[in-house]
Amino acid sequence: TAGNKIFHFGACRVSMSMTEIRSGFTAIKANIQSRDPIRSLSILSHPHSLHKVKTSDRCCITHHLFDFYVDKVFKHCKTEDSFVNRKISSIANSFLSVRRRLGQCHEQNNCVCGEESTEKFNQILANYEGLNVTSAAMKSLGELDILLDWME
Amino acid sequence: EDALLPAPQNISIHSTNMKHFLTWSPVIVQGETVRYSVEFQGEYEREYANESWLPISECSLTTATGCNITEDISASVAYKLRVRAEVGATRSQWGTLKGFFNRVTTSLTPPLLKVTADGYHLLVELEDMGPAFQFRVLYWKKGQERRVQQKVMKEVRSVVHLDTMEAGADYCVKAQTHVEAINRSSSFSQTQCVRAQGDTSMWL
Amino acid sequence: SGELYCSLPNPRNVRFESLNMKNVLHWSAPEGTGDGVLYKVKYSVYGVGKWIRKPECRNINRTWCDLSSETSDYEEQYYASVKAFLNGMCSDWMETTRFNPLTDTKIDPPMVSISSTDKSISIILTAPEKWKRSPEEESISLLQVYPGLQYNVSVLNKKTKKRWFFSISNNTLVVPWLEPGTAYCVSAKIHVTTPLLDSGFSKEQCIATLKDK
Repeated sequence: TAGNKIFHFGACRVSMSMTEIRSGFTAIKANIQSRDPIRSLSILSHPHSLHKVKTSDRCCITHHLFDFYVDKVFKHCKTEDSFVNRKISSIANSFLSVRRRLGQCHEQNNCVCGEESTEKFNQILANYEGLNVTSAAMKSLGELDILLDWME
Repeated sequence: EDALLPAPQNISIHSTNMKHFLTWSPVIVQGETVRYSVEFQGEYEREYANESWLPISECSLTTATGCNITEDISASVAYKLRVRAEVGATRSQWGTLKGFFNRVTTSLTPPLLKVTADGYHLLVELEDMGPAFQFRVLYWKKGQERRVQQKVMKEVRSVVHLDTMEAGADYCVKAQTHVEAINRSSSFSQTQCVRAQGDTSMWL
Repeated sequence: SGELYCSLPNPRNVRFESLNMKNVLHWSAPEGTGDGVLYKVKYSVYGVGKWIRKPECRNINRTWCDLSSETSDYEEQYYASVKAFLNGMCSDWMETTRFNPLTDTKIDPPMVSISSTDKSISIILTAPEKWKRSPEEESISLLQVYPGLQYNVSVLNKKTKKRWFFSISNNTLVVPWLEPGTAYCVSAKIHVTTPLLDSGFSKEQCIATLKDK
């Protein structure tokens, strides 16, 4: 397919154009990751890997993470580089339209949050709040491929 | 900004097949070269980033009265666009596109395709319309219009094998584009028919 | 730690080169240093604090180090680093960018085996295997790693010089109704949509359909 995939999270089916998000991220990955000097801490993948999330909790975690990126991350990632800023805008606006669809699933009760996903997401927030906001946001943006790899 | 330099007028968008162009009328200042700068604002910027605007560097201080904004309109949300004129240090007010632009409204044209028969093999060649495009190709044996077969393809600029044909039979093909990112399709192309080997192979 | 005086020029262009997730660290010798430079290597899992030395790449004079075993979990991401030594002097540690085996590896073309009858050719495609520590280890096809993997197959009629393309998801393709006694040349490549990965085309293999009985 052209990279637009129908993601099945239990009863929740969401069509997402991953190719555009991926190509936007790939274009700025090296730039963004080079701004993150902290090797020993990850927002998304340690201590708990996203890959250990139960299938039933995937929808909720995905919904939480899209909220997290839209509400907390992108706005603190402004750089001095116009090209990078435009790509971040592209990703952020793509996240916005995907989040809207995930939200519809949430409203239709097809995206239930279990204890594990709540705990997992709280761990992510704790990792995030352990850094100053700009470092945390830039690190989170640099880990977008961790989220995309896991979703796919 | 300077009231002497009027803002660009007649700002509009021409969007076809997911290629989006912003155009405006020239600002005339006798004896001066007028340059223009373009900025965009997505829904994200409006709702989460203090209504900030982002410059499109390829269209900063351009003398052209148009700008290819395709690269930046890369999400299916409502965008705002604005342009201003500049002569030296003098800048006009921003001229803003009326309303919003969302790429879901792009107009989709049917694809150009070339259908050929090579022996018993039905082949099709499709034009390259960009990475966002897939092609839904329908084909059927003439006279059996109710037994239409379909292939969804992405390969372009190469001769792609559709199917094998019965000897001497006529087969017809038509195609439409599909853009998954906006979940819309074009109308179908003209139907083209060819004849399989086994009889005088000729174009119908 | 009795560290040596580190004014030696740094190793250059330190990067991972990965093929089918065989992940090898490569670098170029420091500028202006002749023979005799030795190196040591360490690596770390992104998000985990420790740098880990690679004993097999300690005091080596070659400019590569195979870290496939250490970076085989493609759900993790990694950094590696190299330090140079010469005549009692050393360089700084020089690091790679963050390495994501899943998106940063290259993929070999598929293996292609073909057979023919008088009027058809059959093509069987096999995706390459992910690198593994030893032949005894269980094989993992890249098809399992990239579920959206597709094959693009090119078939060239040597007589008419016409080339056709096929795009298939399963690994077998039969092209029927061909001309008897005609040579056809086949090559194939792998395409993954997300992450976007493309192999090159395989070496062209030719076969002739049998002559008409």
